[in-house]
Amino acid sequence: MSETGSKAIVTVPAVAVIDEVRDEIEDVKTFYFSFEDPAVGASFRVRSGQFIMCTVFGAGEFAVSLPFSPESDRPHLSVRQVGKVTRALHDLRPGDKIGVRGPFGNGFPFEEIKGKNVIYVAGGIGLIPLRSSIVHVLQHRKDFGRILLIYGSKTAKELMYRYMIDEWKKTEGFETYFTIDNPEPGWDDRVGFVHTLIAPASVPVKDTVAFVCGPPLMFNAVIGELGKAGLKDEAIVSTLERHMKCGIGKCQHCAIGRTLVCTDGPVYTYRQIKTLGEQI
Amino acid sequence: MHILPKADLRRLTGALAERYALYGPVCHEVSGEVIFDLVDDPSRIDLDIPIPYNPPKGVVFPQAERIMSFSYDRASKAAAIEPEALAAPKALVGLRSCDLNGLLCLDRFMLGQEYVDEVFLEHRKKMFIVSNTCVHPFPQCFCVCTDSGPAAVEGFDLDLTDIGGEYLVLTGSAKGEELVRGLGLAAAPAAKAALRAKAVEASVALFDAQAKDNKAWISRAVNRLTTGFIPHEVWEYIGDQCFECGACAFVCPSCSCFNIEDAAEGEGRSCRTRAWDSCSFEGYARMAGDHNPRKAVEDRRNKRFFCKLSFSQSRKYLRPGCVGCGRCVRVCPGDIGLPNVVTAIRRESTKQVPHE
Repeated sequence: MSETGSKAIVTVPAVAVIDEVRDEIEDVKTFYFSFEDPAVGASFRVRSGQFIMCTVFGAGEFAVSLPFSPESDRPHLSVRQVGKVTRALHDLRPGDKIGVRGPFGNGFPFEEIKGKNVIYVAGGIGLIPLRSSIVHVLQHRKDFGRILLIYGSKTAKELMYRYMIDEWKKTEGFETYFTIDNPEPGWDDRVGFVHTLIAPASVPVKDTVAFVCGPPLMFNAVIGELGKAGLKDEAIVSTLERHMKCGIGKCQHCAIGRTLVCTDGPVYTYRQIKTLGEQI
Repeated sequence: MHILPKADLRRLTGALAERYALYGPVCHEVSGEVIFDLVDDPSRIDLDIPIPYNPPKGVVFPQAERIMSFSYDRASKAAAIEPEALAAPKALVGLRSCDLNGLLCLDRFMLGQEYVDEVFLEHRKKMFIVSNTCVHPFPQCFCVCTDSGPAAVEGFDLDLTDIGGEYLVLTGSAKGEELVRGLGLAAAPAAKAALRAKAVEASVALFDAQAKDNKAWISRAVNRLTTGFIPHEVWEYIGDQCFECGACAFVCPSCSCFNIEDAAEGEGRSCRTRAWDSCSFEGYARMAGDHNPRKAVEDRRNKRFFCKLSFSQSRKYLRPGCVGCGRCVRVCPGDIGLPNVVTAIRRESTKQVPHE
C-alpha cells in the first residue's frame, strides 16, 4: 500500500509518455516518463521501494523497480535490456508511449529507520532499486547517523549512476566504498568482491539498518559478512525480484514459500527471507 | 424446502436459459465423456451423470482469455488501451459440492485479498448457481475428507437433492426464491424435507465403505506442509513421479495460477491474453536473463501441495485449497494425485516417530 493511501492503477495500464532517455551503462537506459492524462499523474503517488508493471505496446509487460525518490525526482525507470520486452523498451525514443500500472508492493521503511545509521550495499544494477531510498535518506541527512554506500560491480564501466553518486558525495558525511572484481587500467580504487568491503568499512552495528541488493551470490556473501560484523537479521533489508505477471497477488508466479513478492514484498528483512524456505 | 419433480428439471433450466448463458454437466456426443460446458439446449443438462471431467472454473476463469486490446501508432504516437467488454450473466447448473467449494476458494482468493481481480469479478457477478447433492460418491472422490461435501452448505442460489423421482429444492438466496416462486414449486412436507440430511448421511457411509486408495487423511499433511517438516526424500520421490504435464492444475477446481502474454496483431494493434499456468512447468518462475530459482522439479512440484493444504494458503481460501473432487487422481500419469501425496507425507513422517 502506498504511503499516501492513493489508489494504484490496478488492471488497465495508464498511457505514459517517454520524455527523455538517458544511456547509463552498457545495456541499461533510464526512461523519464509522465502520464498522458495529468490527472493520473497527479494521483500517481509512490513510496520508495515500490514497483510498477510497464507495458511496451506489442511486446508485453514486465515488473520493474522504481529508482526515483517520490519527493524530488521526475518519475523514471532504469532498465537493463535482458529479454524480449526490455529490448523492445530500449528501442523506444522520447515521445514514444508506454503503459504503466501500479505502484505495487510494500516499499522501504523510512519513518521506521529515522535516527539510525544506514548502510547501502549494492552489486551491479542492484543499485537501481536502492536509489530511491538513498536519495530520500540523503535529503533528510539530519535524521540519520552514519550513511554508507558500499558498491561494486564486475568492471568499472558496469557501475551504475556514477554521475549521481558524485552529486550524493557532496552530502556531508556520506561515506562511499567502491570495488570492481578485477584490476583494470584507470581504476585506482579497491579490487575484489563487494562483501570484502564490509570489514574495512568498519560498519556500524548498533542502531543500524543495512539495505542490500544484488545477484544471489553477492547477496549471500554480503549477508554473511554483515552477520559477522554483528548486524541482526531483522536489521538487514532487501528487495527481491521475481517473475511477475499480475503485480496484484493473483497469478502466483512470484510466490516464494508462503509469501507473494508483489503484495507482501518486494521489500523483506533478512529475518523474513530466511523463513521462506525457498531459494531467492 | 420445495419439491421439483425430476421431469420438470427442464422447466428450471429453461427458465434460467431465458436470462443466463446456461452451463451444466452434459455427456459429450462423441467421446461419451461427461463435461461441464455451455449448453444451447437446456434439456441436455443431465444431473444423474457422474461428476464432469473438468471443473466449472473455466466459466469464471477461462483457460485462455483475451483481457485487453492495445493500439499504438508509432508515427502519430496515438496510444489506446481497451479492456475487453463485460461478460454475459451465466447460470451454472448441477454443480457438485466440491466444485462449488472450489468456486468459493476462487472467490476468496480473487476477490477477497488486498486487490480485487477485476477480470474474474466480471465473470463472477450476476451469476446463478444450482448445486446438486452427491447422493452417492464417485470412485475418485474424497470430499468427506476435505470438508467439502457431499452436500453444499453455502454459495448456491438453489440446491437440488435427488430423493428418487423428485428433487428437494433448497433456496440459498433471494434470486433463488424468486425463481422457485416463478416456477410455482410446491413446498416440501417436513417428512420429505428431512430426506436431504438422510441422503447426505447415506452418501458419507457409502464413501466410508467403498473408498480405499482415495481416502485422504489430510491433517498430518496440513501440519507438515505448514511447518515445512517434510523429509526431502518425499519431494524427491514426488518430483521423480511428476511428468510436469500440468494436468492436475488444469483440472483442479481451485488452482488459479495464470500467465499473461501480449501478442502483436499487426498495424500497431496488440492484445493481452491470460491463460492457465501450472507451477509444475519449468519456466514458471524463470526470469528474463535465465535466473530460475525453481529449476529442479522437486523444488517446483511441492508448491502445488503447499497451495492445496498449507495453513497459510488455506487462510486465503478460508478452507483447505483441496476440495476432494479427485480429478487429479484421475488425470495424473505419475500416480501422484493428492491422496497419494498425503499418504507419502504421512508414511514418511511416521517413520521418524520413535517407536518402542
